[in-house]
Amino acid sequence: MTATLEELDLDLAAQGAAEVPWRAIVWDDPINLMSYVSYVFRSYFGYPRDEAERLMLLVHNEGRAVVASGHREAMERHVQAMHGYGLQATVVRGEG
Amino acid sequence: MIVAGRGGGGEGVRLVLETEEAMLLSELADQVDSVLLLGEPDDPALGRLLPSAYPDDAEASAEYTRYTRESLVDGKRQAAQRVRDATAAPAGSGVVEIELDQSEAWGWLTFLTDLRLILAERVGVDDLDDDEPDVDAETRDDYLRAAYEWAGFVQGSMLEVLDPTDG
Repeated sequence: MTATLEELDLDLAAQGAAEVPWRAIVWDDPINLMSYVSYVFRSYFGYPRDEAERLMLLVHNEGRAVVASGHREAMERHVQAMHGYGLQATVVRGEG
Repeated sequence: MIVAGRGGGGEGVRLVLETEEAMLLSELADQVDSVLLLGEPDDPALGRLLPSAYPDDAEASAEYTRYTRESLVDGKRQAAQRVRDATAAPAGSGVVEIELDQSEAWGWLTFLTDLRLILAERVGVDDLDDDEPDVDAETRDDYLRAAYEWAGFVQGSMLEVLDPTDG
C-alpha cells in the first residue's frame, strides 16, 4: 500500500510538470475541402462528428485549431499523420 | 465520371471513369510520384506535401524531417502509384470501373489532396518574371486549373459517398 501511495504521489508530480503540454495544431490552407478535413479528424482521432466539425470550422474560420495535446512524441506522431493526409500541421509547446 | 456506393451494402466507393479520364488520372498520378521521387529540396510543391512541423525551430524541424520524411514519402508515393496502376492502360471498352474498399479509398483521397497541393503550387509560378503574356504558360495554367478543379470534384464526390452527412 505504501508503495502504491508513493507511486500515486509521483504520478501527481509528473502531472504537475506536464502542465505545459505540447500541442498539435492544424492550420488553414486554401486547398483542402472542408468535408475532407472533417473526415480526417473523425477517422484519425476518432472524434465524434460534432467535435470533428467544430475543429474543422475553427481551422476554417480562425485559421488554426489545437487538435490534440500531451507528450511531445505523441504530438509529433499526430502531426506526421496529418502531413500524411496532406494537412498543414505543426507541433508547439504550451498555449501555442 | 460516376462516383457511387458499392453494391451489396459494402463500405467503400465505386468509380466509373471515361477512358480519357482514366488516362488523365494515370498521367497526373505519375507526375505526383515523380515530384516525390525527383523533386528538388527547394521545390515549393514538395514543401506543401512535406511541411515543417516546427517552422520556428530549425533544429527541431530538421530532426522531425530526419525521422519522418522517408515514411511520409513512401506512403504518398504508394498512394500515387496505386492510382496510376488502377487507371493505367484502360482496355478499349470506353469506361474504366474501379471498386475501392474503405482503406483503398483513403489512398485515393490522400493522393487527390497531394495532387491538388502540387497543382495549386504550380499554377502561375512563372508569372512573376513574365514581362509579356506567354501563351504557352497561359494554356498550361488553364490545364492545371482544370485538373485542380476536377480533382476537387472527384474527391468531394467520393466524400459524399464515404461520409454522407444526412445520416
